[in-house]
Amino acid sequence: MSKAILAARKLSKSFGTNQVLSDIEFEVHPGAAVALCGENGAGKSTLIKLMTGLYQPSSGHIEFCSEKVNWRTPSEGIDAGVAVVHQEFSTMSALSVAENIFIEALPRTRWGLIDRKKLRVQTVNLLDSLEIQLDPDQIVAQLSVAQSQMVEIAKALRTSAKVLILDEPSAVLSQLETQHLFKIINALRLKGLAIVYVSHRLDEIFEICTDIAVIKDGVVTSAGPIADYDQQKIIAAMVGRELGDMFPPKASIERLSEVVLELQQLRNNSFDQAVDLSLYRGEILGIAGLVGSGRTELAQSIYGARAATGRVLLEGRELGKRTPSKCLSAGIAMLTEGRKTDGLFAQSSVAHNYISSTISKGASDFNIATDLAAQRSATVVAQFNVVVDDLGLPISHLSGGNQQKILLGRLLENQPKVLILDEPTRGVDVGAKAEIYRHLRALANSGLAILVISSELIEIVGLCDRVCVMRDGAIAAQLQADEISEDNIMSVAAADDSEQQPLDIEVQCVNVKSISSTQAPI
Amino acid sequence: MISIDQGRSFKATLKTWARATRFESLHWVIIGLILMVFALGSIGSERFATLANIFNVQDQLVVLAIIALAQTLVILSGGIDLSFAGMLGLLCVFFAGFNAQDTQTLALAIAATLALGAFLGGINGVITAYVGVHPFIVTLGTSTVLTGLALLHSNQPSGSVALFFEDVVYARIAGVPCGFIFVICLYALTAFMLWRSNFGIRLYAIGNNEVAAQISGVPVKQTKVLVYAVSGLLAALAAIYMVGRFGVGDPRAGVGFDLRSITPVIVGGTLLAGGFGGVLGTALAVILLSLLANALNLMNVSSFYQWIVEGLIIICAVSVLVGRSKK
Repeated sequence: MSKAILAARKLSKSFGTNQVLSDIEFEVHPGAAVALCGENGAGKSTLIKLMTGLYQPSSGHIEFCSEKVNWRTPSEGIDAGVAVVHQEFSTMSALSVAENIFIEALPRTRWGLIDRKKLRVQTVNLLDSLEIQLDPDQIVAQLSVAQSQMVEIAKALRTSAKVLILDEPSAVLSQLETQHLFKIINALRLKGLAIVYVSHRLDEIFEICTDIAVIKDGVVTSAGPIADYDQQKIIAAMVGRELGDMFPPKASIERLSEVVLELQQLRNNSFDQAVDLSLYRGEILGIAGLVGSGRTELAQSIYGARAATGRVLLEGRELGKRTPSKCLSAGIAMLTEGRKTDGLFAQSSVAHNYISSTISKGASDFNIATDLAAQRSATVVAQFNVVVDDLGLPISHLSGGNQQKILLGRLLENQPKVLILDEPTRGVDVGAKAEIYRHLRALANSGLAILVISSELIEIVGLCDRVCVMRDGAIAAQLQADEISEDNIMSVAAADDSEQQPLDIEVQCVNVKSISSTQAPI
Repeated sequence: MISIDQGRSFKATLKTWARATRFESLHWVIIGLILMVFALGSIGSERFATLANIFNVQDQLVVLAIIALAQTLVILSGGIDLSFAGMLGLLCVFFAGFNAQDTQTLALAIAATLALGAFLGGINGVITAYVGVHPFIVTLGTSTVLTGLALLHSNQPSGSVALFFEDVVYARIAGVPCGFIFVICLYALTAFMLWRSNFGIRLYAIGNNEVAAQISGVPVKQTKVLVYAVSGLLAALAAIYMVGRFGVGDPRAGVGFDLRSITPVIVGGTLLAGGFGGVLGTALAVILLSLLANALNLMNVSSFYQWIVEGLIIICAVSVLVGRSKK
């Protein structure tokens, strides 16, 4: 067997008194793809940061090419040949595609100036070799999320990397884009690159990885060739217990009789197509579709967060000029797609986040009792099984799953009749996912109407009673009962009704403008 | 065949130039406003549209242009420099304090002033980057300290500079003030540097997304120190020019320039948060604001009204920017 190219030996890391990783043994060989699994907060990201020089170990060390190394900065790791695609986007939206990819390695003329012509040629060559279709001169702010992810990958691969670490690269990609990514990864692996692949999507791991290492609470609990594993075994190693069925039983379609929310010819400012839709009491309706198919835009236009024409009726009464606060008090609550960007008040405490949309509840307008905030959030912490040491801590200290539970609780404080959830389990670990699914089903059973937007097909198929598949801003198909399957959804979502090429990311995502438009100018 | 290629490459060249200078459609609006001010000024005053007056305006905008250029660089990097009030005052009395009468002393005085400017700016940068204090606070603090130092040195205009240096500052080539030509070269050089140097790209990178820049291996802290040092260096250039104009070093020379330096940057379309914008917008905005002030002056409009107009322009400019980015 070949020698490990990158390895962690007895690696430990603590922040203050908080031991995040202890005695980690991890290695990856040339030509292998190791899946790094674990719940959120298990220590995967910390391990990656240690292996790339962003953090320094408290004890133990990193081995690269069988030699002990001590990288002090990310650039040392990059120079040695460890390329990383970070979970958080590290693209710089003000720079062009080419500048992003080659920053700090820009070709120079002999006067020391940047050689723009060469830069362009290099970028075109690199993108071609990866079969990524992008204009090198385009500013990244104008790209879709998936496209910027491709920039990120190209950037990681611009050096002659020996190891490629991908930290949840597919979290924002649609199925087709993920397949494209896998093609790239496989080709690289066969060329002898060592791959470390972090993902929450277990099905992906089986598709692309050769080995697996599972981390739980900062310790490697299980490792070996992927062939020795099945989904249940991985989940068991990740959560430390057997998970029963991920998804609770569905509602029977016959029960759905009372329309709670009705959309008539709703047309938002990003698409030409209008949407008609009815949402019934007690159901979970899934909205599937590729990234850029108009799912989020639809949710925003219902909630009054995006300009739209057409009518929205709640329990038969038309909602006039909708704004988020009006919708909230009328009984429509929405969970946004980006927890960090427009969901949380990251620096505020857990308690304040929880009460932020119902501040005056149980208090007079000029007197908000601190105790009350703590009391109220303590109830939700117990109800949703949130893991938190102190409600006064900034919510950014919580793991993704726990943050999401607090946000869900916050929505419920408004006593909504309709819940709109955009990617409710993005960046949430398996254990918390199952809990969230259970809560959603219980809420539906208690009479709420729930609309779930998701890029994870397993979630759509497993959770939803009915599914609408969107394409180009319109609902292309409605599926229910046995019709709901991954194949059916994908065949509609990615249908070739134009000159669309399956792997042409540019064409698919041409309508995504939300990223650039949310940039505040000042 | 060849002609087609040439046609395409001409278009591509144009596109590259637009990208290199960070030209935006917003700049057409500023150019339109400049023309409008020009038209109104010509109607309102006979003296406005004369060559002599235009050269006058060119003379008057030199200091503002240099300071606004410095501010543009700092704002692009995601910071802000409010130290110009104290910086200009101190550098003026420092430079004039040499009482340089011969070339040798003058050269020494210029070199020392430039070095001091860069050093003082560098201090702003070090405190911002390495201690982690918000540049708003840091530069406000240094400005106050430097104002105090300048006034301690002399609480009224003092010092002198060789007459031949004043002649150089006042010199004109075919009627065009040398100072203005110098400013144009300075802007061109800066624009070139932003497009073709690592420093330029790093500036945009850290102003746009500091964390991402750091992960990408950009030396964030060093770049920050450098940009504040460059800002101080430019302030020193402005101070030297001011002493050349007035013949003395005025410790209060910088009063008002802290906030006035920001106006052209914002009106020119550079994002206050950093990362987006460029020097072309600032240049156009400096021309617009200077022409406007001059036109109002010639029309005998009280300077109090000029303040009102300038304030309204800032608000309008920012409103336009907000509206544009929401689209």
